[in-house]
Amino acid sequence: MLTDSGFWFVQLLNSLQLSMLLFLLSVGLTVIFGLMNFVNLAHGSLYALGALFGYSVAQATGNMWLAFLIAPICVTAVGALIYVLIIDRMRKAGPMKQVLVTFGLIFVFLDAQRYFWGTDQLGVTSGIPFAGSFEVFGEIYPSYRLFIICVGLLVFAALYLLLEHTRLGAEVRAGVDDPETASCLGVNVERTFFVVFLIGSALAGLAGVVALPAFSAEAGMGVSILVPTLVVVVVGGLGSLKGAFAGSLLIGTTLTFGQVLFPSFASMLMYALLVAVLLIRPSGLFPARA
Amino acid sequence: MRDLMTFRSALAALTLIALLISWLNAGYFGMEILAEIAILALLAMSLDLLAGYTGLVSLGHAALFGCGAYAFAVFTAFWGWPASLSMVAATLLTGFIALVVGSVVTRVQGIFFIMITLAIGEMGYELVFKTRALGGDDGLAGIPRLDLSAVGVDLNDPGVFALFLILLVAVCYLLMKRLLGSPYGAVLVGLHDNAGRMRALGLPVQRYQTSIFAFSGAIAGFAGTLSAQHTMFISPQLLHWTTSGEVLVMGILGGLGTLIGPVIGAALITLLRHELSDLTDYWGLWLGVFLILAVMGGKNGVVGWLEAGWNLIARRRQETKPADRSAEDAAG
Repeated sequence: MLTDSGFWFVQLLNSLQLSMLLFLLSVGLTVIFGLMNFVNLAHGSLYALGALFGYSVAQATGNMWLAFLIAPICVTAVGALIYVLIIDRMRKAGPMKQVLVTFGLIFVFLDAQRYFWGTDQLGVTSGIPFAGSFEVFGEIYPSYRLFIICVGLLVFAALYLLLEHTRLGAEVRAGVDDPETASCLGVNVERTFFVVFLIGSALAGLAGVVALPAFSAEAGMGVSILVPTLVVVVVGGLGSLKGAFAGSLLIGTTLTFGQVLFPSFASMLMYALLVAVLLIRPSGLFPARA
Repeated sequence: MRDLMTFRSALAALTLIALLISWLNAGYFGMEILAEIAILALLAMSLDLLAGYTGLVSLGHAALFGCGAYAFAVFTAFWGWPASLSMVAATLLTGFIALVVGSVVTRVQGIFFIMITLAIGEMGYELVFKTRALGGDDGLAGIPRLDLSAVGVDLNDPGVFALFLILLVAVCYLLMKRLLGSPYGAVLVGLHDNAGRMRALGLPVQRYQTSIFAFSGAIAGFAGTLSAQHTMFISPQLLHWTTSGEVLVMGILGGLGTLIGPVIGAALITLLRHELSDLTDYWGLWLGVFLILAVMGGKNGVVGWLEAGWNLIARRRQETKPADRSAEDAAG
């Protein structure tokens, strides 16, 4: 098995697919982090919400494309709500209190999700696009997973264009670099924060609903994805798109191949990588603020 | 400032009295809860030394707690050492591991410190979880308690064990308070307020941070040996980062950087958990709401609120007797 090139190619695809999911999650988190110095631990809960909303929409309409559209919108609405109610008021409170408030939000979201969707694993079986599979090097691979990879790459390209070639992108980069000077120069930093937070929430929701057909949804999924996402953000360096992308690839590959080569110690490998990166480069690989 | 210290000491005395009164009235189940509160209070106080006083927020603290518990279990149940020797050895071993880890993790700051402690703690969790010899995810059972029958004390009685823990934690509180009152304690607070300035004053910042990480880790390990004796069963969950998070929440709710605050927080959360889980399946929801409101309230936890109230009363009293103010200022 271990010398079979098809097997390794499939693992490579798997690692890419996990990397892209991690990217969708971590990119929002890292830009919120870099821009607002705000650690939103509830970001994983938004991912779970995306999957759960997606499940409900898919159950009600039988149309997964509709779920891809509606679930991120619902999650963005929830994101807007927590921004207005909590995060906006905690902007000046210091990182420690922000971590704690969003830690409290994890509890609230977890139980709210258990209340509305129960504790079972919820899977979608019908109406999935690209439900077929194809053959590579004699191995069967589901097409849907390729679709996840494409979504990740598309989002990366779109965000790159947004950040580098639009006015909003310039404002975000200026805000990450030096928020005070940016606001002196007439950038409405507060509004930029809000927009970035909404985009981050939408992407977390998108990640959740895109993951739904491949895995399944459950209330606890937000907590288990949180730690790898944080690892990606820290390894990649705070606030940078490039860092989130590189970090996702690194962690996705480590987790997937670690699972194959050292099944018992895959997540240990990830933590060891984090420790090694931080000791060599204390601000991560590509921090936005040097 | 001196008033504040007196106020906190009074609060600590009141907390001890409250614990002792509930001990007098507790049934079997109450004794178990009191023992749990005492152990978590000790763990939360040790985290307060790091997070509250020195400003090093660690999410790997539970791993050191678990390290103490597992070391104690191995020494007693596997190697047949007496419990007293095992407690000392497990505490020292945890302290040594914390020293080594501390010398590495203190090289990074802020959010990176939180993440690196989380990562190293999770490595410990994974290691125990996957090691069959340590029981893996099944945990370990059959751990004995300290044998004090020589002085006529039977720790296998839940009531006696709870009282033993409460008194032990009270002694630990006094020792930690003494440490924090020393010049060393002043350095820790200085590191929290402005590490850069302390470095400019010529202080070996990292060495101090490492030393408190080791000391606080040793206390966490000691709390771990107590926890292993309390439940007589241990599982890898003890080491998980969410346990660290919960202990941190206790500190925040009670008031970090006050030493007595984490004790109050530990008592509140443990009681809330037992009470709310009887009433509702969704006690986490209420805990979360409670936590958010407590943090957004803007005061430093329960102790912060009490101090604010006490200051208000003190100021009113001063305003009614303006003639005494100069005298009080001179005295204070």
